[in-house]
Amino acid sequence: MNLSSLARASSLSTSLASRTLHRSIARRPISCFYSPPSINPKTPLFLRPPIFTATLSDLQKWQNWAKTLASSVGSSFTDSDNGPDSEILHRELNWLVQDALENPNPLFHMESKFETVMKLRVDLGDLYTLWKQRIETRRPFQYVVGCEHWRDLVLSVEEGVLIPRPETELIVDLVYDVVNKNVDLMGGLWVDLGTGSGAIAIGIGRVLGDGGRVIATDLSPVAVQVASFNVKRYNLQDKISVKQGSWFDPLTEFEGRVAGLVSNPPYIPSGHISGLQAEVGRHEPILALDGGEDGMSDLLHLCNGAALMLKSGGFFAFETNGEDQCRLFVDHMESVHKNSFYDLKIVPDFAGIQRFVTGIRL
Amino acid sequence: MSSTILRRACRKPYTILSRYQSISTLFQSPSIPKPQNHVSGFEFQSNNASGWFSSVSNKRLTFSCGSSLNNTLSFSTQAAVVPSTADGLTVDGIVANQWTILDESESDWKSHASAIAQSIRLIKKRLQWEKLKVRLEMLSIHMEKPDLWDDPVNAGRISREYGSLVGKMKTVNSLEQELIEHIDMIKLAHEEDDPELESESVKALLRMRQSVKEKELEALLAGEHDLCSCYIEVQAGAGGTESMDWAGMVMQMYKMWAQRHGYGVTVVDEMRGEIAGIKRATLRVDGEYAYGYAKAEVGAHRLVRISPFDSAKRRHTSFAAVAVTPILGDGSHHVQISESDLRIERYRSGGAGGQHANVTDSAVRITHIPTGITAACQNERSQHQNKASAMAVLQSRLDQREMARQAQMNAQYTQSLTDNSWGNQIRSYVLHPYRMVKDLRTNFEVSDPDSVLEGEIDDFILSFLTDSMDKENEA
Ligand SMILES: C[S@@+](CC[C@H](N)C(=O)[O-])C[C@H]1O[C@@H](n2cnc3c(N)ncnc32)[C@H](O)[C@@H]1O
Repeated sequence: MNLSSLARASSLSTSLASRTLHRSIARRPISCFYSPPSINPKTPLFLRPPIFTATLSDLQKWQNWAKTLASSVGSSFTDSDNGPDSEILHRELNWLVQDALENPNPLFHMESKFETVMKLRVDLGDLYTLWKQRIETRRPFQYVVGCEHWRDLVLSVEEGVLIPRPETELIVDLVYDVVNKNVDLMGGLWVDLGTGSGAIAIGIGRVLGDGGRVIATDLSPVAVQVASFNVKRYNLQDKISVKQGSWFDPLTEFEGRVAGLVSNPPYIPSGHISGLQAEVGRHEPILALDGGEDGMSDLLHLCNGAALMLKSGGFFAFETNGEDQCRLFVDHMESVHKNSFYDLKIVPDFAGIQRFVTGIRL
Repeated sequence: MSSTILRRACRKPYTILSRYQSISTLFQSPSIPKPQNHVSGFEFQSNNASGWFSSVSNKRLTFSCGSSLNNTLSFSTQAAVVPSTADGLTVDGIVANQWTILDESESDWKSHASAIAQSIRLIKKRLQWEKLKVRLEMLSIHMEKPDLWDDPVNAGRISREYGSLVGKMKTVNSLEQELIEHIDMIKLAHEEDDPELESESVKALLRMRQSVKEKELEALLAGEHDLCSCYIEVQAGAGGTESMDWAGMVMQMYKMWAQRHGYGVTVVDEMRGEIAGIKRATLRVDGEYAYGYAKAEVGAHRLVRISPFDSAKRRHTSFAAVAVTPILGDGSHHVQISESDLRIERYRSGGAGGQHANVTDSAVRITHIPTGITAACQNERSQHQNKASAMAVLQSRLDQREMARQAQMNAQYTQSLTDNSWGNQIRSYVLHPYRMVKDLRTNFEVSDPDSVLEGEIDDFILSFLTDSMDKENEA
């Protein structure tokens, strides 16, 4: 909690700074704003040992209370900021139960005995607190359970790190398609800029061939810690290295040698931040969201860097805010980097929104 | 990719040889003939037409070794042995004797033997013994063809079906053998005046009598896909909240039935009614024979009751339709789905998405464009997994559709239970003015609807399976 408010305060000031240093290369003043990375990432709920107990009837009492709370929401969150409705909250509640209990089955079978002792990964009192936070403060469900299911991965997340989005899963599919057509890329060096929880980097790490390597970078020390934790959990530490620093700063030695570059940089226009869904605006790190006045600052910066970093035949894929940003991005590439890229494509997500730009370095 | 693996595995000569071995032992053939030139389809047909079954024992070997005529000569002169006791009693003979069948507790070997022989006969009937033999012969001829593996998918299917039929045939033959051996032993013990051995042997016969009962049930579920897990899909009929509530009750009935059987149960896709129940839902049931049982539930289910949603307390009739599709194992799919035929959509999504939104709902719907068949999933925690689950549902539906199409082309299978019969009313649940659940196909009925709605539907399923099996055999 402390740390996240600190991170928020500091990222607020970085985004202030970014407005003045707009478009300069290292546009965000770095680590001095952060407390030194001291704590280890929190263990996600489902990985904690089941050292607590409660009787089935006490758990049912909690469950009924939690259900009532979820039902009381109705569609009010949806109406105010497109947040979750009761049906979704009920499903989250089932997932919370799955993560918190060693064996949740008795809760779902009518024949179970009330005095059955259930093993929990968290104290029953804390379960009340957690669900209260979910409903009353709109704390994202993924922070409540400390993980996000993303592709076939379960990634640890916590305050200070962006919760990876379903849309972003497709970047890994795009990379998968490309490397399966090109052995050279399959065994090359890939870079995930602004890796957050490490989601894209890990996804890519698992589709690359034996020689393939990934460098994941992030400015946020919390992100670096969480990403490293997730990389280790999937036993990919030999394939993926996580580095702290601003965009290309930690990568100067690899100029012109990178086979693939991917990123989901902050792309929300600053003016939209205050109106975001509560789960996002009040809880996720602004450093991960705010893309400057038109949301394009980081994207354009990455575009320029891609020309520098990628080797000939190298592939890039970036996520954007939608159709307008995709267009602007492609326009920029075609005008400023006229002879640097080819095969520029705009790829939609499953909701039909033009979401990604991909291309190849000449 | 998987098909090449399959191809490689199946091409291995020993695989084929071991198949020959198994079928030849079926008929107590003394040695394993080496497969050589194949018999053409034409030769087979003329073979068949010339009274193949009248001299089954000789001709069987023709297909078990499947080689050219000159090669089979030496075998065709050897009759396969029908198991019989030292004094010439066969299983058919026992049935013909019509020894009285007494209660299991009566230690009378003739009664046990008679019961077992009856069971074996029932099993054969349920397996459609004569048809099975014809089918097996046809498959073995296909297995011979040198170009079989040019179409690996088809070849895989043929060799799997072949293996499964051989397995069934073996099971029955060894039951017959076992029965005969027990009887020989009892008679021997009696002659040698060894009461201890005699009573031991009678006990063994009793154990067989009990275990063969299970085999009777298994024989009911001998369809190609009966062993598979399955999807059960329930859809509310017209009639608003009352019928959505009914569809929800039907879904609940299957959930509880599946749990009782120890099956894994997952709701893959559910569209709730605004006030109560469901508009539709898809349940995944994982476990052995899930499809074999659940397929008996396909059709429309009718409810008659005073609707709790009607303030005037009138009696309502509503319907819920049930479809069941098997989940075929990898490599046994009937349809190869190509990515370019698919439209994949996020649904229930709105707004700008991406970094703007925190969602835990990543429901995906997949449409197979050429057929218009869709499948959706929203119970998984990642979009990727929702997509994979929806793909599995789609695959199952397309397989089902293809099997139905093939069934239409193949008269022998037209009566298969797998046909989707949405329009076909199969069961009636009356809660008012009297209380009764009645299956309209079998007339089986129960006067306690509550227990049925809590998942006790096995009796309905078994009576239907037995019934339709008998009808199929008469046809
Ligand atoms: C939208 S998040 C994406 C996180 C992750 N890649 C994902 O898709 O879930 C953007 C990430 O960029 C990082 N970031 C912001 N400014 C950065 C900078 N100047 N250099 C490196 N990373 C930065 C943020 O900390 C955040 O983790």
